[in-house]
Amino acid sequence: MITAQQKPINEIRGMLGPYKRILVLGCASCVAECAAGGQKETAMLASTLRMMAKMNNEDVTIHEHTLDRQCVRDFVVRLDEIISSYDAVLSLGCGAGVQAVAEMFSEIPIIPALNTEFIGETRAQGLWMENCLGCGDCMLYYFGGVCPLARCSKQLFNGPCGGSVGGRCEINQDVDCAWQQIIDRLTRFGAMDRLEMIYPPKNWSRKQGGGPRKIIREDQQR
Amino acid sequence: MRYNNSRTLALFYCQNVPGAGERERIGLEKKYGLSIRFFPIACSGRLEPVHLLSALENFADAAYVITCPQGMCRYFEGNLRAIKRVRRTQDIIAGIGLERERVGIVTGLKEDPKTLAEHAEEIFDKTLQMGRSPVLDKGEANYDHCATEAH
Repeated sequence: MITAQQKPINEIRGMLGPYKRILVLGCASCVAECAAGGQKETAMLASTLRMMAKMNNEDVTIHEHTLDRQCVRDFVVRLDEIISSYDAVLSLGCGAGVQAVAEMFSEIPIIPALNTEFIGETRAQGLWMENCLGCGDCMLYYFGGVCPLARCSKQLFNGPCGGSVGGRCEINQDVDCAWQQIIDRLTRFGAMDRLEMIYPPKNWSRKQGGGPRKIIREDQQR
Repeated sequence: MRYNNSRTLALFYCQNVPGAGERERIGLEKKYGLSIRFFPIACSGRLEPVHLLSALENFADAAYVITCPQGMCRYFEGNLRAIKRVRRTQDIIAGIGLERERVGIVTGLKEDPKTLAEHAEEIFDKTLQMGRSPVLDKGEANYDHCATEAH
């Protein structure tokens, strides 16, 4: 899941400055799961902006709408009927959603209301943890299902740094030592031999070295 | 009706608060008229910031929540969650320059629980001291705020 957090309200208001008819656009997928941009948060932000406008005697119209997914064209196209009524769209999608909407409606400014943070998991209610960098070459098998790139503060590939105490990272006591977890898990599986191999430095060309990445699957195409 | 409607208070209350039955609510509505809008809820934990914001945006000078007494929530944590959500709402309104006190929460004491009527009177008196909300003070809103249907 992609996680995000709402930008400060004054930053949002500043970006909306010149526009008089604004559509606040939520996304009911990842950003809804992380309570940043779902239907509820969209309603809250729209209400807040309307109150702000009333207090400042500004004559603006603010509507809200939520798509199932802003990053899928089949859903974005549903805005076709309503989008021409607005001067700007304030998107509560992740960076991918904002750009997908902008790509489809090139005549209208699409303004991000969120800061996209990371790929992560919902660890508990109200707690999201980063656990994947989207490197394009997953090595979780070798590390017992714990990614040293995303979860080790030093991104070490060939064993722990030696600084952790009691399973906690020396950088921050709130952070679990990823290498402690890797070793615990591999020991449990009887697979510590996977760590006897020397892992070469990460080949980052599979992440962004060739520009924006894309996936093409002919069997999925129309 | 004892009160004019120079101020309006939105009062969301847990139905497990003493004296929060239907008959009592009707009596209080007669007493306060448009000055207090009563919203019974099955559990204060079901309340979301959007409910409080919507009240402030559309008609209320203040929006308050009355929860059941501490340790007496039928759903265990409802009144604890309500406290967090009210705090979040206070942060939001403070961010746009509204006084935090325009949103609040009152939790009764287990040993000496107050009735809905007693809570309402106390909160209403507090609201009167606050003055008119700058959101509503600008005259009737010319904002069409209907949500378009979500897909």
